[in-house]
Amino acid sequence: MKKISILKPVLVSNQERAKENRKFFDKTNSLVLNIIGSPGSGKTSVIERVVKDLKSSYQILVIEGDIKGSIDSERLSKLKIDTIQINTLTECHLDAFMTAQVLPQIKKPYDLVLVENVGNLVCPAEFEIGEDYKVAILSTPEGDDKPLKYPLLFHLARVVIINKVDLLPYLDFNIKRARENIKGKNPKAIIFEVSASTGEGFEGLIDFLKKELTKRK
Amino acid sequence: MHEYAVTKSLVELCDREAHRHKIKNVRLIKLKLGKFTGFSPEAINFYFEYLKDGTRCATAKIEFFEIPVRIRCPNCNYEDDIEEPIFLCPECGNVNIEVISGREFYIESIEGE
Repeated sequence: MKKISILKPVLVSNQERAKENRKFFDKTNSLVLNIIGSPGSGKTSVIERVVKDLKSSYQILVIEGDIKGSIDSERLSKLKIDTIQINTLTECHLDAFMTAQVLPQIKKPYDLVLVENVGNLVCPAEFEIGEDYKVAILSTPEGDDKPLKYPLLFHLARVVIINKVDLLPYLDFNIKRARENIKGKNPKAIIFEVSASTGEGFEGLIDFLKKELTKRK
Repeated sequence: MHEYAVTKSLVELCDREAHRHKIKNVRLIKLKLGKFTGFSPEAINFYFEYLKDGTRCATAKIEFFEIPVRIRCPNCNYEDDIEEPIFLCPECGNVNIEVISGREFYIESIEGE
């Protein structure tokens, strides 16, 4: 019987591929955001608002990750921006390899690449795809305890967007408690409170993104 | 459910390493798993049982070693394992905590002949 010391991370190949993807986007100084949230948290609606506000000044690409179908990319292409659809079929998240497969479809430089991950708070957090950072979307009907239940995502996300704040009068969602729960997992998290249906709170998010995009120029 | 993909990577990596070190039958894979990952040993075992067929790991078992989440405060040098992932220094309240361990997921060793 032989015993061989290996000491190699199992996800090494994904991490390496993510670095390659990163290099691809760095060539064009693109800001790449990996947007993660539950199904129905409003990821696509938030992206729509962001695209509407920024598309006159910036080149934007949206990469849509879904298990099946192209409903979201069709919805976003109505805004006259470029979209790419990835169907993950059996997988519950996007990984660096699935992302790498669509890179050849990117024919021009983009200032901002928004990647909408598969709706899920667990798996997408584990797999880097070559993003600058993760953006978590938490909607008020889900409850203010979600950062406690899915700590990894909220720990890793640089930006957390609390969506559907227009519904607060009807829900038992405590914004102060939600912020404390997020800060407990990630004291440096940058938190925005928005409503994608009314547009409330988007000025702050848009200002932040404009600053981030200017930094890359 | 995402354990399928990682278990596939695990089997491929072990198979490759076994080939490189001239091991025909891997008997034991020692796996280090941080507590702050979303991977479940049960799910990894479940997929491993059928992904290992036809590889050098076909008769192998996995032994899991859990790695605790450990934080360090660069401000006051406090360092300890934590049970609940709360990232605030319990000594000085610093928010810029370093997470030293807990996200590991690697193969420590393989045994076989």
